[in-house]
Amino acid sequence: MGRYILRRVLQAVGTLFLVMVVLHLLTTFAIQLNGNPALAFFGEHEPSASQLAAVEKRYGLDDPCYDQVGNPCAGPFVDRLVAYAQGDFGTNLRGRAVTEIVAQSAPHTLRLFVVVTFTWLTIGMVLGSVAARWRGRPADHGIRFTTVLVDALPVFVLLLLYKFVVTVPVHQWARSEFGSESWPALWFRPSFDADHPWATVLIPGILLGVSGSAAFVRLVRASQLESYSGEHVRTARSKGLPERYVVLHHVVRNSSIPVVTAVGLVFTEALAGAVVTEGLMNINGMGGVLWGAVKGSDVSLVLGVVTLLAVVTVVVMIVVDVLYAALDPRIRYE
Amino acid sequence: MRQARITTAAAAGFAAVALVATGCSAGGGDAVTEEPATVHLALNQDVGTLLPMDSNVDDNIAVLDVVYDGLVRYDPETTEPYNYVAEEISTEDNTVWTITIKPDLTFQNGEPVDAASFARAWNYAAYGPNAMANNYFFERFVGYDEMQGETDDAGVVTVEPTATELSGVTVVDDHTLEVTLNGPFAGFSTMLGYTGFFPVAEACLEDVEACAVKPIGNGPFQVDEWVQGEKVTASKWADYPLDEAPAFDAVEWTEFAGGSSWADFMAGNLDEGAPGAADLGDVESDPDLAERVVERPGAALTYIGFPLYLSEPWTNIELRKAISMAIDREGIIEAIVPGERVPADSWVVPGGVPGGETGTCEFCTFDPEAAKEALAAAGGWPSGQTLTITAGTDEEEAELFKAIGDSIQETLGVPYELETTEDFSSKRRNREMTGIFRNNWFPDYPVNENYLAPVYASGDPEEGNTNFGYYGAEFEEAIEAGDSAETLEDAVAEYQKAEAALAADFPTVPLWFSVSRSYHSERLSNVILDPFSGQMKLRPLEVAAE
Repeated sequence: MGRYILRRVLQAVGTLFLVMVVLHLLTTFAIQLNGNPALAFFGEHEPSASQLAAVEKRYGLDDPCYDQVGNPCAGPFVDRLVAYAQGDFGTNLRGRAVTEIVAQSAPHTLRLFVVVTFTWLTIGMVLGSVAARWRGRPADHGIRFTTVLVDALPVFVLLLLYKFVVTVPVHQWARSEFGSESWPALWFRPSFDADHPWATVLIPGILLGVSGSAAFVRLVRASQLESYSGEHVRTARSKGLPERYVVLHHVVRNSSIPVVTAVGLVFTEALAGAVVTEGLMNINGMGGVLWGAVKGSDVSLVLGVVTLLAVVTVVVMIVVDVLYAALDPRIRYE
Repeated sequence: MRQARITTAAAAGFAAVALVATGCSAGGGDAVTEEPATVHLALNQDVGTLLPMDSNVDDNIAVLDVVYDGLVRYDPETTEPYNYVAEEISTEDNTVWTITIKPDLTFQNGEPVDAASFARAWNYAAYGPNAMANNYFFERFVGYDEMQGETDDAGVVTVEPTATELSGVTVVDDHTLEVTLNGPFAGFSTMLGYTGFFPVAEACLEDVEACAVKPIGNGPFQVDEWVQGEKVTASKWADYPLDEAPAFDAVEWTEFAGGSSWADFMAGNLDEGAPGAADLGDVESDPDLAERVVERPGAALTYIGFPLYLSEPWTNIELRKAISMAIDREGIIEAIVPGERVPADSWVVPGGVPGGETGTCEFCTFDPEAAKEALAAAGGWPSGQTLTITAGTDEEEAELFKAIGDSIQETLGVPYELETTEDFSSKRRNREMTGIFRNNWFPDYPVNENYLAPVYASGDPEEGNTNFGYYGAEFEEAIEAGDSAETLEDAVAEYQKAEAALAADFPTVPLWFSVSRSYHSERLSNVILDPFSGQMKLRPLEVAAE
């Protein structure tokens, strides 16, 4: 197991380095072709040449290589790697440390993810198990039909409907009935409130979770159906074990392996959903920060945040792989 | 002297409002438990800083309006400036200005608000390498150029700035400041109420980053905390010595950074809301809301520019007139943004600033016949060519400019293509436009000059100004005459002549002015919108208990 983990970690470091190289090249070429992102600092107004030069210098964009199309700008890349290695992820265009921005916004996104993951697992396991257990019955058809519907409804439509149709009357009613600081009023707030981070992220998180849960339901159903017809289940049944025991220990447990993998894979996809959710619900999370940084051409913030996200993704992948190996002994011996 | 007189009148007027306000709250709130009256507002823009020298978007300007006091403030109804922190602003020749500051004023940290505090802020803003957004406001000061240095075409600094202080700003004594401008400018004193001219404390410059997040102001409110990206909270400064203090206790601004805050307003969490296009249904179906709306003509002008730095057909004035008269401004506004814009037939907002008059543009009304005649006089549209219309990526603006293209195509038979691009600003700056393009101007201070000189004057007969390649000798002369006029009234009249010269040269096509509209909660009354930004003025606001 130790060697397995070591191998995975080394691969991860390599992946991370590759991601950073690609990211660096893409932004470098974008700057060379599109012109100076330091201009974004000034918005509509035109800065004087000296102001521009000052801002370029401040954000490390003054290297002449950024003016030469095709130059890979190796120097600034190495400088950045060294700075990153020392924990210095630079600052945004306003001079705020990227690490500070991330430290402030990441907890909001993590809360969202906790709710989302919990929703996935709950809906996926419950509905998937029911559908598999009563295969071909109305319950199964109903669940499968619902998953298609949920899949067809984009998350932003769901959230827009919720925000503009549901929250306003419900929140108003809850405020007048229970007071503005009551749980129901907070749950149905039209947007996030940093003073009540869990309560106000709950329903948007559930909605985001629901919209991504269809894949889990089908995955759990498929994998449980496989287990139901598996030899070990037949053996267990023929031993006379109670059905309840067979389902819980041999079917549900085995079907959790692909689910764990899927959580890891869908994690990155959820970040895309988080951008939408955070934007609509005004949650100051990683998705919103990244979106704002891209819109505002804030190069160092984009690089810093994407690198940190890449680190998180790679770490999640390792955790999933290790969990996978723990759940299925065959994997670690390969 | 003129300025001093206005002060007294305005102060008296404001005192009356304040009395009414206090009277109201004392009578209405039968002293149950003293809940602090908090106003809940939204910051819809991305606010990067609260440093006065660097704040140039509506939202941070609105926050700083209650956190700092400037030398002058503007009457919210008439935009007329009056002295506030300044005791007197005087000049003999419009070039050398003497500013006296009221005694015994302090910052919220106890430091004195004196001549040095203004000089300190202005020097910091004017120093090029500090890259402050309001740097360009100091261009008229003697010594500005020495603080900018020089760069070559690639943007590499070739000459470092030789000065760190404006030689045109002298601290005469604790309460007297002398400013020398490059040349006469009659409108100088009206500029001084702008955010970029606020004073800063010494402690602020010692830690600029901290001060940008937690300002050390001299105004009636102090910022308690700004959790960046989330919210700004401010509460009343107990020792505020002047009289324009709001009648409520605290403000909480929630940041929405481009997202919609309308649902939060409708749900009762915010005291002010501005509906987006998608929310207009709510507004129409709610008669109660119609009673809580305040509207005033805005000051932002949207207009069309031509690449005059290219040759024909753009340099042909008849063609420009033809395009202008082919645009059905009223019809487009009615179809796309009803009630949200006012068709423009002048380059300066009429009634909004001194010298602004309606009807200075003769060719700004929709007249298909005249448009066709003008196009014929211009020799027709080059056959086989398509008119490119370039705008930014804002969806509503794109829709408006598509309608403009349709209007031109229908009237003149000129085929067009609409180009919406992220690189809009840089294309304009680098003179890469190949057709007509969108422009928007938003005044920084209330004189008609602000719509003219910063946009069209260049002093460069060869190249013309940066964005359009325009140069008008008569226009430049009139601006200069206005700058050196003896009184502001005379100056305004000269600037009006400059606008007339502009109308004759017809380098751009005025389209429409903005309309400011704001909905407010039932708790608020005496809601007045800022004539420039359209934002709610906080100081005169009255707030009932929650």
